[in-house]
Amino acid sequence: MDGLRKDQSLVGATDNINEETNNITQKVISEGGEETMVPPVGNSIHRSSSRPQLDLSGAAIQGNFEERDPTILLPNQSDDISHLALDIGGSLIKLVYFSRHEDRVVNDKRKKSAKERFGVSNGNIRRTFPILGGRLHFVKFETAKINECLEFIHSKQLHRGDNDNAVIKATGGGAYKFADLFKEKLGVSIEKEDEMDCLVAGANFLLKAIRHEAFTHKEGHKEFVQIDHNDLYPYLLVNIGSGVSMIKVDGDGKFQRVSGTNVGGGTYWGLGRLLTKCKSFDELLELSQRGDNSSIDMLVGDIYGGLDYSKIGLSASTIASSFGKAISENKEIEDYRPEDISLSLLRMISYNIGQISYLTALQLGIKRIFFGGFFIRGHAYTMDTISFAIQFWSKGGAQAMFLRHEGFLGALGAFMSYEKHGLDDLMVHQLVERFPMGAPYTGGKIHGPPLGDLNEKISWMEKFVRKGIKITAPVPTASPRTTGLGGFEAPSSKGDTLRCDESNLNVGVLHLVPSLEVFPLLADPKTYEPNTIDLADPNELEYWFTVLSEHLPDLVDKAVASEGGTDDARRRGDAFARAFSAHLARLMEEPAAYGKLSLANLLELREECLREFNFFDAYSTIKHRENEASLAVLPDLLMELDGMSEETRLLTLIEGVLAANIFDWGSRACVDLYHKGTIIEIYRMSRKKMQRPWRVDDFDAFKERMGFGDKKHQRHKRALLFVDNSGADVVLGMLPLARELLRRGTEVVLVANSLPALNDVTAMELPEIVAEAAKHCDILRGAAEAGGLLMDAMINIQDSPREKSSSTPLMVVENGCGSPCIDLRQVSSELAAAAKDADLVILEGMGRALHTNYNARFKCDALKLAMVKNQRLAEKLIKGNIYDCVCRYEPAN
Amino acid sequence: MEGDRIEEVRLVHSPVDEISHLALDIGGSLIKMVYFSTSREQPIDKTQINASRDSHAVSRSSKDGHLLNGRLYFLKFETSKINECLDFISSKQLHYRGLQHCGFPASDKNIIKATGGGAFKFADLFKEKLGISLDKVEEMSSLVSGANFLLKAVPSEAFTYVNGQRNYVQIDHNDLYPYLLVNIGSGVSMIKVDGDGKYERVSGTSVGGGTFWGLGKLLTKCKSFDDLLEMSHQGNNRVIDMLVGDIYGGMDYLKIGLSSTAIASSFGKAVSENRELEEYRPEDVARSLLRMISNNIGQIAYLNALRFGLKKIFFGGFFIRGHAYTMDTISVAVDFWSKGEAKAMFLRHEGFLGALGAFMNYQLVEEFPDTIHLAGEKNRNPLVGDLNDNGVIECCVQARPAVED
Repeated sequence: MDGLRKDQSLVGATDNINEETNNITQKVISEGGEETMVPPVGNSIHRSSSRPQLDLSGAAIQGNFEERDPTILLPNQSDDISHLALDIGGSLIKLVYFSRHEDRVVNDKRKKSAKERFGVSNGNIRRTFPILGGRLHFVKFETAKINECLEFIHSKQLHRGDNDNAVIKATGGGAYKFADLFKEKLGVSIEKEDEMDCLVAGANFLLKAIRHEAFTHKEGHKEFVQIDHNDLYPYLLVNIGSGVSMIKVDGDGKFQRVSGTNVGGGTYWGLGRLLTKCKSFDELLELSQRGDNSSIDMLVGDIYGGLDYSKIGLSASTIASSFGKAISENKEIEDYRPEDISLSLLRMISYNIGQISYLTALQLGIKRIFFGGFFIRGHAYTMDTISFAIQFWSKGGAQAMFLRHEGFLGALGAFMSYEKHGLDDLMVHQLVERFPMGAPYTGGKIHGPPLGDLNEKISWMEKFVRKGIKITAPVPTASPRTTGLGGFEAPSSKGDTLRCDESNLNVGVLHLVPSLEVFPLLADPKTYEPNTIDLADPNELEYWFTVLSEHLPDLVDKAVASEGGTDDARRRGDAFARAFSAHLARLMEEPAAYGKLSLANLLELREECLREFNFFDAYSTIKHRENEASLAVLPDLLMELDGMSEETRLLTLIEGVLAANIFDWGSRACVDLYHKGTIIEIYRMSRKKMQRPWRVDDFDAFKERMGFGDKKHQRHKRALLFVDNSGADVVLGMLPLARELLRRGTEVVLVANSLPALNDVTAMELPEIVAEAAKHCDILRGAAEAGGLLMDAMINIQDSPREKSSSTPLMVVENGCGSPCIDLRQVSSELAAAAKDADLVILEGMGRALHTNYNARFKCDALKLAMVKNQRLAEKLIKGNIYDCVCRYEPAN
Repeated sequence: MEGDRIEEVRLVHSPVDEISHLALDIGGSLIKMVYFSTSREQPIDKTQINASRDSHAVSRSSKDGHLLNGRLYFLKFETSKINECLDFISSKQLHYRGLQHCGFPASDKNIIKATGGGAFKFADLFKEKLGISLDKVEEMSSLVSGANFLLKAVPSEAFTYVNGQRNYVQIDHNDLYPYLLVNIGSGVSMIKVDGDGKYERVSGTSVGGGTFWGLGKLLTKCKSFDDLLEMSHQGNNRVIDMLVGDIYGGMDYLKIGLSSTAIASSFGKAVSENRELEEYRPEDVARSLLRMISNNIGQIAYLNALRFGLKKIFFGGFFIRGHAYTMDTISVAVDFWSKGEAKAMFLRHEGFLGALGAFMNYQLVEEFPDTIHLAGEKNRNPLVGDLNDNGVIECCVQARPAVED
């Protein structure tokens, strides 16, 4: 019996299944439980607090300067600052690397002055070294094509260190197997990191740093879950590799493998291969999608003659016995459809894992269970089955959650294992995820060529459009190479299999922006939700997709014109249109593909997509023209206003803001108006129609607060004016209102976009507009001078040692975003700094006051002003009609 | 178990009028039958000879009626061959005779107590072929009353299985509850039993006997469950399971105290080798399958016992069949997960819990063990053989009218 005893221990393994050979040297962890558990070495990570900074001396941009994302080489950096970590599994190599933000060298005096004025620090003050802004890229390669991976690393010089003994952190079985290859080809040593340490570190980072990383999956529907960072631990991490490991995570580096099962991904694939003759895991998974397990599983209904066994809560379709029907029929293996076998197997294993996970969580009193590992691969049915098991056994008390980046946990964890990565200090608001074409995606195979520069990207898309192949976005490829070094072997089959699994989620590039902060005036940042419209409503989603699709040709025309209408611009414009359409198609198909979908994301995606195809300011011509036209009539308007009593003027100013908000190139309805008259005509006509009461009309309360009532009020110390469009909107609407506030002794900070979005005015453009306006207005001139704007904008004026103006200052800050909407959880540090002394927030325009932030609550007084230029929104939000106005005033609590 | 076992049964040449009170458990894979007979003839089967050797019938009177000596017979049929079962019943005319010839008061002769899903599914068939109605007894309740009966009334019913050794466990009737009953049929039900008629199905899994047999049949072309079990005995799971040693080059994963022979992934090696199904020995496949399923059931059972603080776990159901390796694997799984604190226990009559429970539903016996006397009870050696297959329990039952409620 001794021999029998020996092989009895049950074990689950964590590893990536390997497709081909016996090379897998993956980690297996004990079922041993608490007593036998030796705390893994290095779990309690004590990192040095005195981290060296990157040595930027001698930094050079490698490769073509015209490329969008040149790799910046830091030849003098210490070799222990690494950019790359790997997770080399049996079938896929996952690569996480960091690249610095491209520093746009812009001589932005306004920025400098704002920094000085508000004492903006670079990011978090408690940090002992600055986090570098940059991007975290997630890339996959097939292990079988490891040379592509090596060339990719080489071309980007990701392995470069100061000396020849460079070390790359890696995890996964291949970290051993390919160590010699890395040494030989790249001259780097692979340092193997404990796989479980990496998984946990990766999961902890993602759950804390990415707002909507975790999601539930029920009946094909994904719902993102916001995790409270202070209430994350403990959780159960179920990693489904060949075997299954269940890890209780209590904190950073604090975890224990508490359970597992030997029935895992290896069982699915192994048994599946024997039963179906499938050649790959993905093929087997694919088969299951067309299967019907009732042909092979014995269902409760089969035993009970179609009846439920409701007494114990089993429905007729519940599986009583997996593969149980294979018993009672005289069928051979060939008589069963491989599809059905695959599905039965998948259900059996998923269900079993769900059940054991739930029981383990229950035993430990853990509420949250996250599932990861190669077995899931974003496969909808697998996730549904696991979710169902958890739901069923917990009677709805527990939920299975999945992670968007689950394929990259190990690689990310290996990245975290470097002494100096700075990631663990990052906060959720400092990360922005972008989805450029060519970004890799999770799960499944990597299709298509690795796209290089923009030109290659465009040609590739043109080619597929000609072939009539539907592109689903982002086109799943390797990440763009940028240096021109090495070069890729172009795959001969340029991927006829463009479509990725519908259930797969895309993983974008993670932008690390240390200067982003949470807007300090939000009443409750935890419950703040920027979006007013819920795109989870399929009707809403469809509506917006239609709106955006219809607007696309006009946008392309504008964009092409903004670049001089050249052939190149036209080509890029067409590529942009295709790319954005592909994004839309992908999102229509799978709204959760890029994480939680909101209108703000969607509109920003469009702007990002424009920038991706080198359209940096599609509306620049129009903006310029309208600014000029508006500035020309501004003096007349100011004179008219000055002739009014203060009380009348306040109303007229608010009417003016609402009226001027009609000038919006983002609104289809308004674009049509432009043909009907000059700016001032439209403005006056529009203002004349501003009959109170408006649809939402808190003007009286606002007026009272402004001192036109019985009660005495302190004037506001500082007002933040979130401006919207260029042209009449800002010049004839917001600027006169700003002027009025200044006149009353309230400091005014104009808050504008950091990057262009539609015809929205940017922080870069505002000083010039203000300077122009100031030419005809003493109030504005004094204020602009006091705010340091004039010197920036009017280059002719030297830093004259004039006495500092005693006027109330007018300032401009950037808001940190490049979208028509604004998510106040992620604003620029200069806006956050400016907000500290502010006691009035004015949000103007549909994007910032209605689509987002309509329901936002602030610590200070807030005024939301907008004209609704969209019938649907008007009906939905204010039960009104197009061109109705909103003047929502909410005093500080 | 098909033809040959039926043969065994036929050896019970009981006069028709001595057979009565038939109860059925019609499962997804097997039909289990229990009936009472006053026949003194014994089946010619060494197991059953053991079982009934030295039996002595005791007759005494009670206030409700007289007691009858007799035996409980246990039979099995494959559900797919239900006609064999119907023929058997028909040939014995069990269904016509009721109890009157045994000295019981006449009862509705057209009713048979039955449980299991098939009691619903095949009700019409019984009506049509034999003209009898199946009085459906709820499945879980049957299992529980069958198990309670066995644990209280049959000495040396429960045993542990450690290192190939059976150790019979004396069950203290006053300290029986609560316990976890794991019935491994086609699927697996896990029932928390708190007393007579007090129970709750707390869990279960679809990975059970049906999975073993079904998958096994597909993978090995084996013709019967027993052949498959037999094959598994000669197999080596290391050929096809991915073991810790396969991953760590034959070394134990000492960091966490793991033996190199521990299974990391069942069937995991089938992934990494370019071998077709035909290139694996069916014995090895059967072994891997058996270990996978036994381990899994043991683990889930333990987790459920832990959840409700249950110390005793009894495993029953046709999957086990007294098969040493199965019991050993389940025992080790429970031992492993409980760190030695819980013990898996098995029942000699494991396959017949449901059928026995249905039989109990006739309410021939009120308060066993006082009113029922079983072979081997007093001063008798523990029963040596298994009664997993067809067999008998010698007993006497109280002759009182079947109660209708």
